[in-house]
Amino acid sequence: MFLVSLGLKALLRNPYRSILTSLGIVIGVLSVIVLVSIGLGAKALVLQSIQNLGPNLLVVIPGSVTDSGAQVGGGTDTTLTVEDAQAIRHDCPDVWNASGALRTAAQVQSAHANWSTVILGAEPNYLPVRDWHLARGGFFGNEEEASAARVAVLGHLVASRLFGLEDPLGKFIQINHSPFRIIGILSSKGQSPMGMNQDDMVVIPLSTLQSQIMGVTYVGVILAAAQSPDRVDDARREIRDLLTLRHHIPAGGRPDFDIQALSDIAKTANRLSLILTLLLALIASISLIVGGIGILNIMLVSVRERTREIGIRMAIGARPIDILIQFLTESAALSFFGGIAGGILGILSILALRSFLGWPAPIPWEGTLLTVTGATILGVLFGLYPAWRASRLDPMEALRYE
Amino acid sequence: MQEDDRPGLSVRLDAVTKIYNVAGDELPAIRGITLSIARGEALALVGSSGSGKSTLLHLSGLLDRPTTGAVYYENRRVDSLSPSERATLRNRSVGFVFQNFQLIPRTTAIENVEMPLLYRGIPPRERREKARELLLSVGMGDRERHYSSQLSGGQQQRVAIARALVASPGLLLADEPTGNLDSRSAVSVLELLMKAQERTRMTLVLVTHDAEVATVASRTIRVRDGLLEQS
Repeated sequence: MFLVSLGLKALLRNPYRSILTSLGIVIGVLSVIVLVSIGLGAKALVLQSIQNLGPNLLVVIPGSVTDSGAQVGGGTDTTLTVEDAQAIRHDCPDVWNASGALRTAAQVQSAHANWSTVILGAEPNYLPVRDWHLARGGFFGNEEEASAARVAVLGHLVASRLFGLEDPLGKFIQINHSPFRIIGILSSKGQSPMGMNQDDMVVIPLSTLQSQIMGVTYVGVILAAAQSPDRVDDARREIRDLLTLRHHIPAGGRPDFDIQALSDIAKTANRLSLILTLLLALIASISLIVGGIGILNIMLVSVRERTREIGIRMAIGARPIDILIQFLTESAALSFFGGIAGGILGILSILALRSFLGWPAPIPWEGTLLTVTGATILGVLFGLYPAWRASRLDPMEALRYE
Repeated sequence: MQEDDRPGLSVRLDAVTKIYNVAGDELPAIRGITLSIARGEALALVGSSGSGKSTLLHLSGLLDRPTTGAVYYENRRVDSLSPSERATLRNRSVGFVFQNFQLIPRTTAIENVEMPLLYRGIPPRERREKARELLLSVGMGDRERHYSSQLSGGQQQRVAIARALVASPGLLLADEPTGNLDSRSAVSVLELLMKAQERTRMTLVLVTHDAEVATVASRTIRVRDGLLEQS
């Protein structure tokens, strides 16, 4: 124990040198913590935008068209129908709700403006499936769907582009030169993880889009919401079985559809941001190692400077191990206190980052603990060689050293 | 600790040689010396500089190991012990006084005196008391918080003597203890050493080139070119 206090006293005798030596560790720990926090913040942002889409969501897309043996990209076939969506809704116990949807691009006009946007044809239960809400007005129901009524619900962005500060409810817009009455405005949803602005869209009944604008009978996609996030896999299996049966796919044959879960995307995004975080931490660790080398350097100088002191201590009975512990304590204390200081500064930096930039950077408590511990171990490792050299000095030669 | 209640430690050097290897050249410092020092004896080793008398002292104090030959304490061979065991033995049984005092810089007088007890694992309060007692006995009781750089040569040597005596060693080795002192300090330091030796009846080996200093010892041995010159 007294050897530890000897080491600490030696550091206090040279406060400036001690502070400057541990500065490398301070900066290293600081950057590890801050970069890890930024990485975790990025992960939180990605997960948040996936959460926006609904974690229970399954997306059924048609398979690829086989054109003279060559496969065109997935989702290009026209095999999914409204009846498929209906069957999924009714026959899959783990599916809570489902809606077919189809989209096209079109020019939309109001009395004074003109906007090129996406026209989404959807069934009346589209909003609950997407866990989306209306800002104002209403959504179309089964009646409008059955009669292919010309009604429209505007995305947040489209409403402001076409009508500015005016209230669009009850007014008309032109889609492909046909008038549509505006019955509702969607709440703002922001970007999808694929980078599409979900507020730049006009929603009309699916049947209206199919029969009056596109002249088709298929749907582009069926969105199905599972009863709960942990039943996504069951729901996916039920949909696969149901569609295999409905589309007469022989056993072992290649299905003409594909089912993707948003939780899969979430997993991938999660893994990617984990890799990003690790990469950032790795880069920051390099500065930690540089800090360790600084300690190694100063300790070597210190051992040389204090050779005579070591000789005196050995002459009056310090064993090699006593000398080793004394010097090891010095380097461990340098890196430990440097690590603590770096940890505190790191947390303060994260708090500053949060309040000034609004980045959702969490404080990585465990990471901080781990980094400070790691820095201390690093200090001990880098201090080992100088301490070992000190302990191996010959007492006689050390006493004569000038 | 068992050496503590003994009046002194007997030392025997048996046909020791010490050859230094300097830049590939072999420089013999001790060419073969056999010497017995009895318990409680006060022995002076005299000789000119380079005669090998200091080397002989260091070999006796286990600071160095002979190239050939053996060193015995109380008939126990000690030169072949490990560095760690020799350190423990030095701590328990040997006190050193050096020509240039060898106090630890930026450390107070009392901390210097405490140090041998520290390596013995004596608790702080006991350490402090014992060190204070020793500083008082060498007349440095009022200087315990002074750093070595704030003390005169004579004062530093007194602190060094207190440090050498604090662990009650059986063997006190003094290497030109008055060599760096003016004549008045030299006399008082020498008196201090002899008084301590008389009181504790420990074995004392005094290395000096000054024949007058040597007269305080009960036996004087001359060293010349690494050999004894019996007188």
